[in-house]
This record gives sequence, C-alpha cells and structure tokens, in this order.
Amino acid sequence: MVKKKNKPRTGPYQIISSVSASKTDAAKQQQKTAVAISGSSKTLQALTSAAIVLPGLLLSSAQAADGDHINFQFSRYQEGKRNLYGLPNSQNPIRADVLHGSGLFTLTDRAKFSFSYTQDTWSGATPITTTPLVANPYSSILKNTPTGVAVSGASPLLHPGNVLLDRDLNPIRNDTGEQDTRSVLVLSSASPETRNQANFGLGYEWDDAAINASAGFSLERDYRSSFGNLGGRLDFNQKMTSVKFGAGYTSSDISAILDHDAAPYLTKTAFTSQIKRPGDGSEILQGDRQDWIASLGLTQILTKHALIDANFGYTHSNGYLENPYKAMTVIFVDPDILNNGQTTPVSGDVRALLEQRPDQRNQFAFSTKYIQHINPFDAALHLNYKFTTDDWGINTNTFSANWIQPLPGGWTLTPRIRYYSQDAADFYNPYLISQQKYFLREAVDSQGRQVFFDSADPRNEYVQDENLNLIDSDGNIVDQSTVNVVPKMVFHDSDQLPDNFSSDHRLAGFGSLSGGVTLNKQLARGVSLEAGFEYYTRASSFKLGGDGGNGFADFDYYVANAALKLNLESMRLPGSSNRIHQHSHHGESQPSTHKQKQKHDQPAGVMFAHMLDNAGEFMLGYRFMYSRMAGKMLHGSNAASDSTIVNQGCNDENLCTFAPTDMDMRMHMLDIMYAPTRWLNLMLMPRFMDMEMNLRELDGRPPPTAEEHQHFGGHATGVIGDTLMASLIRLYEIPGHRLHAGLGFSAPSGKTDLQLRRVFKVDGGSIHFGMQLGSGTWDFVPSLTYTGEHNRWSWGAQVSGVKRMEEKNDAGYRLGDLFQATTWTGFDLTHWLTASVRGLYTVQDRIHGDFNSFNARIGPMDFPANYGGQFWNIGVGVNAVIPGGRFAGNHFGFEWLQPVHTDVNGFQLDRKGALAASWSYHF
Amino acid sequence: MKLKQLFVIVLINLFAAAITGCAHVAAWERGYLAKPQMAIDPHPLQNHIQLHNYSSREAAASTHSADGGGGCGCY
Repeated sequence: MVKKKNKPRTGPYQIISSVSASKTDAAKQQQKTAVAISGSSKTLQALTSAAIVLPGLLLSSAQAADGDHINFQFSRYQEGKRNLYGLPNSQNPIRADVLHGSGLFTLTDRAKFSFSYTQDTWSGATPITTTPLVANPYSSILKNTPTGVAVSGASPLLHPGNVLLDRDLNPIRNDTGEQDTRSVLVLSSASPETRNQANFGLGYEWDDAAINASAGFSLERDYRSSFGNLGGRLDFNQKMTSVKFGAGYTSSDISAILDHDAAPYLTKTAFTSQIKRPGDGSEILQGDRQDWIASLGLTQILTKHALIDANFGYTHSNGYLENPYKAMTVIFVDPDILNNGQTTPVSGDVRALLEQRPDQRNQFAFSTKYIQHINPFDAALHLNYKFTTDDWGINTNTFSANWIQPLPGGWTLTPRIRYYSQDAADFYNPYLISQQKYFLREAVDSQGRQVFFDSADPRNEYVQDENLNLIDSDGNIVDQSTVNVVPKMVFHDSDQLPDNFSSDHRLAGFGSLSGGVTLNKQLARGVSLEAGFEYYTRASSFKLGGDGGNGFADFDYYVANAALKLNLESMRLPGSSNRIHQHSHHGESQPSTHKQKQKHDQPAGVMFAHMLDNAGEFMLGYRFMYSRMAGKMLHGSNAASDSTIVNQGCNDENLCTFAPTDMDMRMHMLDIMYAPTRWLNLMLMPRFMDMEMNLRELDGRPPPTAEEHQHFGGHATGVIGDTLMASLIRLYEIPGHRLHAGLGFSAPSGKTDLQLRRVFKVDGGSIHFGMQLGSGTWDFVPSLTYTGEHNRWSWGAQVSGVKRMEEKNDAGYRLGDLFQATTWTGFDLTHWLTASVRGLYTVQDRIHGDFNSFNARIGPMDFPANYGGQFWNIGVGVNAVIPGGRFAGNHFGFEWLQPVHTDVNGFQLDRKGALAASWSYHF
Repeated sequence: MKLKQLFVIVLINLFAAAITGCAHVAAWERGYLAKPQMAIDPHPLQNHIQLHNYSSREAAASTHSADGGGGCGCY
C-alpha cells in the first residue's frame, strides 16, 4: 500500500520506508509504516522544498506537506500597551485575527494544485509619528460625570504647538526648564480593517526535478497587490544535493484615505501630485510599487543524521515605498532668533510631514539552516542563521533554534527561540529639527496680489481685485459665500530638509528576542491538531553593537494559534477506517440505499439536517455562507424615500443623516460532528465572520454640525463569531422516513462591543448592531427535522428557532428571537448529483434594549426597532458526492437563496440573496 | 563593503556544504533523514504566521514573497 501511494515518486524513498518498517518488530510495524509514509514524502520535502526561507519565492505550498491535505487555522496577534511615559493613553493596542485555510490536491500522478486563503482583521492603536516628550502630543478628552469633569481618554496631536529648545536645540521642559531629550510615540487608533488574500498554485514533478507556478492577490481597502512566482528544483548526486531557484513579481496599488483627524495637520506638499480629493472632504494618497525577487538555494545531505540548506535571495523594489500613514515630526526653529546672541530658550514650531523614503530598495538576503538528528531522543535540532543587507543601510542578523521532540501517543513538542537585530536605516530619525521658519510669508502672484485658495480644494486659487472681489484663475468673480478661502502661504524650503526621512520605528536600530512552543497531536490517522504560542519582545537595547537609542518604541506581543490539519491521503488509506472504504463505494454500488441518501440530499443552506448513521463515525465539514443586502431602503415591504427615512427612520432627537448602500456578510463555519451512538450525534461549529457596510448621505438630511461623525467609504468587522454546540437525537425511523430533533446552544464568542474610531475628537461609538459579530447572549437553538426518500426523490421539512436566554448582552441589548420553517424536495439527476428546490420562511423579532455605550446614531441601522421582520425565500441547489477515484467520498453542496418577499421591521436595506456552499467528509 | 562581506559569507558556507557533503549517504541509510522532524520546514503553518508577523515588525528582507505586498505592514 505504501508503494501504491508513492507511485509517482520512484526513487530511494520508498526503500527508506520499507527498510525502516522492516527493522521494527511486528507490534510496532503498523505505527512505523505510518511514520514512514509521511516520512518518505517529508524527506522529499526536506530535500526539495526549503523555499520558505528563500526570500522571494515560495515553492512550498505544493511541497510543504505530504500528499493531499486541507488545513484550517486561526491565529491571534496581540500587542502590549506602548510606554507613553505617563501621558494619558486610553487606546487599545493592536490586535490582529487571522483566519487561514489551505489545501493541496493531486490532479494527476505528477501534477498538483494548491490554494490558500487568508483573512486578516486588525484594529487598535498604531504609531503615526514620534515627538519630543516635552511637546506633549496628546490632549485629554474630558467627559461629564456625576462627580464632575473627568479625563476619559486622550487624543493624539500632530501639531501640538510649540516646544522650547535650548541653544543646542535640546528640548527642555516647560515647567522646570530642565533639558528632557526623551521622545514619545504618537499613537492613533483605527476602526477594524480587513485584508483578504488568495493564492493558487500548480506544480509538476519529475523523478529528479519539479516546477511550480503560483499567483494570487491581496485586497484591502487601501492596498491591492497581485503577484506571481515561478520556481523549480533539480536533484543531483543520487538526490544528495538539490538546487532550487525561483523568481517572483509583485505589483501593488496604494490608495490610502488619509486619516481624517490627522490630514488637516499633516504637511503633504511633497506628495501633492499623488493626492486626490473625491469631493467628500477626504484626501486619498495614491501610489504604486513593484517588487522583483530572485532566489537560489541548495540543500545538501551531510551525513546519515544531518543536512544543510542554504539560500540566497535578491529583492528589488521601486515606486511608492512609504507607509502612507506615517509622518515625520519636524521642529522648525527661526534662525534669526536662534542666532541673536542670547542664551534664553528658543521656541520650535512642531509640524508633521508625510514620511519620505527612497523610491528604490535593493535587498540581499542569505540564510542557512543546519538540521541534526539527535539519536538518544529521536529529536531534531534546527539551527538557523540569516543575514540581510540593503541599500537603505539596514543590516540584519537572525539566529534561531528549534528542538522538535516527538513524544508517545502521537504528540510532538517543539520549543523554539529566536534572536534578531537590525541597524537603523540611514534616514531614520525620531524627529528632525530644521533651522528655518515653517511659514516663510504669505504668497503673492506676479502682480504682487495676495493669493488665497479654496480650503476644500487647494488647487483652486484666487486673488482679490481692487474692490476686494474674489477672482478665480480665469478672471471671473466668485461669490465669496460659496467658497471658504484661506491665504496661501509660502512654506519652508524643503531643500533644507533631508531627501528622505522616516520615524517609523521598524526602520530604527533594535533587537528582539522571542520564544515559543508548538504542540501537535495526531488524533486519528490523517487528522491532527496543532497549537502554537509565541512571545516576542522588542528592545532598542537588544541591538547588536550597542543601544539603538529608541527605547521609547519598545513593545511586546504574543501570538497564539490553533490549527486543524487533515491529510486526505492518510484518511482514505485502506485499513485506516472501513467506513471510508464503504463510503467511497456508496455512490457506485449502492446508489439508492438509505445510507447514501441520508448523506447528501439536504440543501447546503440547511443546518442540523442530517445525522451520522454509525456509532464512532466522524464528520468534518466546512460551510461558507455569503449574503448581500443592497438596493432600496424598505419600510415594511415598500421602498422608502430619503425624506421619509430622515424623518421617521431614527428618532425625534436625532434625524437620520446616513443610510446603508450595501452590506456584505461572509461566514466561514467549521462543522465537526461525532456519533458516540447511533441515536445521538454531537456537533461543534465555530463560526468566523466578516462584514462590510458602505453608507451614503441621505438627501434632505439636516445640515452637519461641527462635531458630526463623518463617514468616508465604509467599515468592516471580523472575525470570530458565535460558536454553536448541538446534539442531534434520532426520534423515529422507518424505511424512507426519519425524524430527528436538535438541541443546540450558541455561545457568545463573537464580539458585540466593536467600536468605530474616534473622529474629530468625537467618539465613533459602537458600530451598528448589524455589524457586531455575535449575539452577545447565550442562545438556545432547537430544531426538528423530517426527511424522506423514495426512488430518485427525496424531501424534507424543518422547523428551527433561536431563543435568546439572557435579558441583554454586555453591550446592553439582545437580538430578536428567530423562527424558521423550511421544506424542500430533491431529485437525483445521476447517482452522485442531486438537485433541490426549497422554500424558506423566517420571522425575527426586533432588537430589545440598546447600546449602553455611546453610539453615533447616524441612521436607521443604529436603532433597535429597525431590525427583524418576515422573510420569504426560494432556494435552488445542487449536492454532489464524488463517487470514486482520488476524491471519493467528498461531499459538496451549493445553494442560492433568492428573496421573494420581504417585510421588515422599521427601515432596512433590501436583500439581494444568499449563497451557501458546503464541503464535508465522513470517516 | 557590506556586500563584499555578504559574498564572503555565502562562499564560505557553500564551501563548507560542498566539502562536508562529500560523505556519501546511500539511499537505504536515510531513515533518520526521512523523519518528519527532519523536514526543512516541519511546521509550515507556524512558520507562515511567524514570518508574517516578523515581516510586519522588522525591516529584514521579506522571506515570503508569495504573500505579496499585502499591506500587512500597515499596522
């Protein structure tokens, strides 16, 4: 069976398998064979891939795992609070949640297809610039409380005013007059942002060579890139030596909406030609960049117990290499005052300029890895060293070591430690001091007339004629009440500043130390769980060769992750489970049995609708659900005009000003099911969601106030949703008819207190109810399902509900209870393909209670009465079970739900439809 | 100067690999090398996450180009 599995890989590795298996005694033989099976292809991987450490190219997806597999992983990155030397800091540190799914499938004996999908959602406070501590770049946010005015937080200032400097240009304290050269980060929070990335790869293997091609894209609101890679491998010297090579290209478009709080205080003159103003008051910085990558690597077997892997990579980047959200603080000092011969402190004008980096970067990287088998422990020691250098002046050194210890019972424990050090970029400075005035004088035109510009669009310039009329550039008189003009100033001379400058602490000199542990457990053949934890601490003082002098930017983070790994090849190995064997033949030999029917005729959008038939059976599944709302705003079941929404959609105190234009919801759900007995099935369903909503301003809305909450574009949230746990109980069964009940609970793992960022010093407040990720309450989820079948027909009906078991969640409200009734019929088109039609009725109550924290209340989506309603849908779907061959037993389902009638509570956006897709596998 | 250092390091390592690599290990002697813990990347999922975080926090040449620009460094 081993040989059969490894058929394409003729060569020494099958011999290894048989040798290692034959050495063992009979009792251990089966286990060893399993090791050898995975081990043989691991060697291939060891000998061949290694591309992970190559700058530039990733051959790995196709080679990094043995055989066909699917992985799911969730990871959380959590940063600690930054040290602001006691300045008020109410902002949450950065957190990023990453959802990852990947897989590899054999297409033919030698060709493989791989994919991976990653979704990051992050929020929190990130540094935008650095100032001297004495500039005090935070202003307190005050709040009225019953006991008086209290400080509720702090908002960052990019233009905090002036600082005092001594004659050597050292900052000095306002209060004591003492020198204080400490710097401090200026942090700014962001609303949640989401990134989606997909990769696809194709690989082809010969006996002594392989090639791989992959391509993909990464999409964010402000950053879009697409990339492609080509790579290969050649084996020599009886596969003692492998040479790897590759090349890659990435093209990125940046379209960054400048922070609306920060933009007015930012000096953007160096990027004027790249800034677009769409007219809603926002400013969008646009740029593009290209990255070319080439790499070469070598893997060499040294002894029976050791091998070495060395890689060299070159990366060339050009274009807009800045981070659009980072600024450099420049303190402008009037040279006339500085050089007036006195010794009293001088005043410096603190300004923030968008950072400027070189528009080219060439990076060289060399990495090597030595791997030694430690016989007494049967462990492996991995020692890594990496050196990189670039023409920005950054040299880095990385040392790391892993100890991989297999343990009895299918466990593997891997502790690891890493040290990293980098030099500062040539153009890194915490802040700059420039001996010139920020504003030199007011601008005048060629005739000596003072020049003004439109504050809404600085490209429109005006002068005044002798009657003080405002004249535009075409000589026409402009009505002064229609534009808001301000005097144009002649700024500082940018030639007196360096060509490039950045205060991004990632370009500073520092060191870091991190350590972590990975734990693997093989649950059943082909199914394993992996968990990892890492703690990382960055310190300026850890830098090789002396302190980097930027201890103010020190921070730490931890990363925790959990993954489920399915090796499809092992799962369907004969002997691993009889059920798999049976199952793979269902489609061919028993197309009309109940068992086969039971497994694949429920539409993909119906949950809790099928039970496992055999005690001890497992099912792993994945469901994806997408729904879209867009189009008209409805009031009941009729379209509502903007003026009706403005006046009736919100409440008397707040008229509506915004309404949603569209909302997308995507949900990923894992479906883990186990049958301890034939009459009882247990289910665990973690859910991950992400949502996106765009808003528009309503016609006829009340005029904005100075402190209004502004929306630019839209917002997004993610990623952990509520977790479902359920048991299914078989109630009644005769041939052709069966009935089962579901008793489920939904645990409130999804957040309900997501906040929009603070804008114009006004709290954004809680994000709309519909954008929160969970219910926030423990919910009871019962269901009753009847299914039946006769010949090629099948049918079913289900009633289900959601009952909130708490009065309100921590955020102060509870979602409405929900009741659903559905019925469907299916017809077998072939023995492996079923088509279905379904009707679905849903009724949901409105939201009760309300946010107990501030909510901006800008539109109908912020009011509890505008949730719930009655919804009628028709669904059409197909279900397929792969009847034979490599993917036998995999079940796929798709269903589209088309709204036919909608009757909403209050004012809500119309529905466009929903898609459900599912995959499952029994074993 | 820095570039020169780099190439010297590369050369030394390649030599080291070539010299020590001369010992022949026959195919049937590679049982230990075939173990999963001896794979060059034994934990690809972990490695992927680590590289992603390092590249968003450090300035070393990215070791994971197939991730694309991604903008993961924006936070």
